[in-house]
Amino acid sequence: MKNKLSRFAVPYVVWMAIFVVAPIVIMTVYAFTSASGGFTLDNFAQMGTYTEVFLRSFKLALIATAICLLIGYPVSYFISREGVSFQRMANVLIMLPMWMNFLLRTYSWMTILENNGLLNQLFRKLGIIALYNNLTGAELEFFPMMNTQGAVVLGMVYNYLPFMILPIYSVIVKLDHSLLEAARDLGANSATVFRRVILPLSLPGVLSGITMVFVPSVSTFAISQMLGGGTELLLGDLIERQFLGGAYNPQIGAAISLVMMIIVVVCMVIMNRFGEGEEQAVML
Amino acid sequence: MMNRKGNSVGDRILMALVFLFLYAPIFILIIFSFNAGTSSSVWKGFSLNWYAELFHNRLIMQSVYTTLLVSLLATVIATIAGTFAAIGFYAMRRKVREPLLAVNNIPMMNADIVTGVSLCLLFVVLFGFWNSIAEWVNSVQTLITLPTKLSMGFGTLLIAHICFNIPYVILSVGPKLRQMDRNLIDAAQDLGCTWMQAFWKVIIPEIKPGIVSGALTAFTMSIDDFIISYFTAGSSTSTLAMTIYGMTKKRVSPEINAISTLLFVTVLVLLAIVNLRESHAKRRGKAHRAVSRRGHKVLRGIAAGAAACALVAVLIVTGRSANTERVVNVCSWGEYIDESLIDEFEQKTGITVNYQTAESNEALYSLIEMGGADFDVIVPSDYMVARLIDEGLLAELDYDNIPNYALIGDQYKGLSYDPENKYTVPYTWGTLGIIYNTTMVDEEITSWDAMFDTKYAGQVLMINNSRDAMAAALLDLGYSINTTDEGQLQEAFELLAGAKKNGVYQAFVMDQVFQKMEGGNAAIAMYYAGDYLTMLENNEDLRFVIPDEGSNWFVDAMCVLKTSQHKAEAEEWINFIASTTSNLANMDYIWYASPNTEALAQYPDYYLEIYDEELDGELFEIMAAPDETLARCELYENLPRQTLTLYNDLWTQLGI
Repeated sequence: MKNKLSRFAVPYVVWMAIFVVAPIVIMTVYAFTSASGGFTLDNFAQMGTYTEVFLRSFKLALIATAICLLIGYPVSYFISREGVSFQRMANVLIMLPMWMNFLLRTYSWMTILENNGLLNQLFRKLGIIALYNNLTGAELEFFPMMNTQGAVVLGMVYNYLPFMILPIYSVIVKLDHSLLEAARDLGANSATVFRRVILPLSLPGVLSGITMVFVPSVSTFAISQMLGGGTELLLGDLIERQFLGGAYNPQIGAAISLVMMIIVVVCMVIMNRFGEGEEQAVML
Repeated sequence: MMNRKGNSVGDRILMALVFLFLYAPIFILIIFSFNAGTSSSVWKGFSLNWYAELFHNRLIMQSVYTTLLVSLLATVIATIAGTFAAIGFYAMRRKVREPLLAVNNIPMMNADIVTGVSLCLLFVVLFGFWNSIAEWVNSVQTLITLPTKLSMGFGTLLIAHICFNIPYVILSVGPKLRQMDRNLIDAAQDLGCTWMQAFWKVIIPEIKPGIVSGALTAFTMSIDDFIISYFTAGSSTSTLAMTIYGMTKKRVSPEINAISTLLFVTVLVLLAIVNLRESHAKRRGKAHRAVSRRGHKVLRGIAAGAAACALVAVLIVTGRSANTERVVNVCSWGEYIDESLIDEFEQKTGITVNYQTAESNEALYSLIEMGGADFDVIVPSDYMVARLIDEGLLAELDYDNIPNYALIGDQYKGLSYDPENKYTVPYTWGTLGIIYNTTMVDEEITSWDAMFDTKYAGQVLMINNSRDAMAAALLDLGYSINTTDEGQLQEAFELLAGAKKNGVYQAFVMDQVFQKMEGGNAAIAMYYAGDYLTMLENNEDLRFVIPDEGSNWFVDAMCVLKTSQHKAEAEEWINFIASTTSNLANMDYIWYASPNTEALAQYPDYYLEIYDEELDGELFEIMAAPDETLARCELYENLPRQTLTLYNDLWTQLGI
């Protein structure tokens, strides 16, 4: 049976060889090529200059992933406890905002967060800004929300939260109830049931969610330009600039991208090792 | 299910807050689709105008159709393929599975642009390979004729979408498989199921939630993707996201808000109908189960029918691009043509126009450089024209086919980018200057100093484009904007970096400048004259000035790529666009100045006739700067490679 099932993967493995591996090979060749066409390691030698961009991107992506997990886990858990039709609705409703174009959604966030935007106007009308100034002795005309790293993280959380909620939800909703009952019968209170049974059993979903949020967050472009004010580059912007900037340096872009990918792969392998171990302990 | 213990009020409030967070920007977007003005931050009254305009906008409607088609097809294919692949992986030994899964994750880990570019290169290589084989096959026998001119289009776009969708499906289905009790399959088989039955009756129902969330994710990724589509769509197809990003060189039109609202409402209504029908069916009770099961079969039939229709549609679409009617593939910028001109041209000549838009000169360049698109007519800016000529990518025009070239003013001919007038016909021109808000700046700005002055700390928007930003600094220092002197460039960079360090810049912006200046969020910005006029409509306190030190003036010109297969049609298009009536229409739509002397002279009368009011002379002078102002301005020239690299390095340094 098992061997027969594993045949199902054959077409996709062939597909991957053409459309996933071949482009990677092309890109790797690029990364080791100089602008004039010869072999070079120079593209990697420059990497040191971008250390700060790497650190910043990974830091912001980590924060965004953590926030997504903190919000996404309880939400998926609560959704799974509602009625079936609500669950089905909620599934689509969580994804639906993402069907509006990214650029438009981000423009909307700008309208909300700007110095003279909707939130600041609201705060001004409610007297919150005046109150804050009275309390702290500051002289703010607005709360600076726009053009900060906080705004960039918000953009990431907003864009990738559904990718955390959905995988976690789809695992939690199918948990084996006899296990939960058994735990309760054996005297565990709700907190213990959650911590010792539900949480470990939902780990595969959590790992999927983390991958689906963290990976695109690291390489995201445009969010930092639009919400962060474009004064601090992220990796995605840096790479985009090499391809679409004035100088047209695809070789350096490929090199940066390759380094980024290796770091991400290492992170993922470590995380999955940890995850696999947990999962097997539970299965036994 | 887990509903034996329901949610407390607190739990529900948290859920509601999350939904509020997800939907707040969507509501804003919907509200502004009813805005009478063009702004997405300044409310000008209620209007349905954008909805009406939408249905005349062929570019948007076509791209909506392409988007839906490609997203649906890619989702269906990727979901099926991804589910099978995930099951296959699951059945493998871990040692085999892990490396395969790692490869599977690669498309997700790659920056989108790298995926896009590498797929583009792959397609170019594959097609080149195929074309030579096909030619050889055709030459040795005559029984079958293989097509020898494959090029990118809907097919490649679809493959690319499937490519980046499958990993998400596998990631969604995988955890469900790992969660599934492995004994279930064996039990089913022990009870007499064939393995096929075990597959359909045991595995699929178990992993269904994972499949659904995988499909949802895939559809979402598809519909939102811009950059991979851009590099794989070829010259004749364009998705909605591509159209939207194409507009960012000018501004994103509110029609986009309108179409998004319509799509959003449609999905909501469909969702409500499905849910209502299901809860209705449930209420009718168990007796009807058999019926509803038959209903499922009907649904399945409908789904299969829909998939078949979609496939046929693909064949039609791809088939159409293969036939030999007269076509011209135009690539321009978004919101950069009065679209009625396209229809007019098609009716007049019977030539089909495939109109596409690119995001920037540089994005257009890299696509052409890689051989990714066979456009016929493009409309790059001066410095990019020079670069394309330098690299031998443009075809010489036959001006006998373009009689309207005679109407182009002499001052727009023989310019540095095309000194002998062999390759180009100017499309529009304009100037770069400083825009400021008189309620936030109490002096009259006359110098580039304003862009670097700590007096305006936190209030200045610097343009997010190395050439223009450096130009401001170079002009302020009294140097030429085309300097190649490293010392001068370094000095200009120091000026910019110093100002950035002192907090002068609120942000580095391109199209966001509209929203920020219109909404009074920043005091000073540098941008293009024509766009200032758009901003002025939404905020009357804005002023435009070309500083005393001078500035840049630019020309965007039509040219034909050397690879063009439709040169005659391309020249016909260029001639049509260069005519006085086309220029008047475009000038009125874009608010950039026309190089056609007749059109330029007639515009004030044309304006009076259409709007029934006098054109403000001052504004006209901003749109089409008078000669004495132009005398202070310089065109950008194509810089040597070394200088471009220096620009790039300095500019990156500024962002780190």
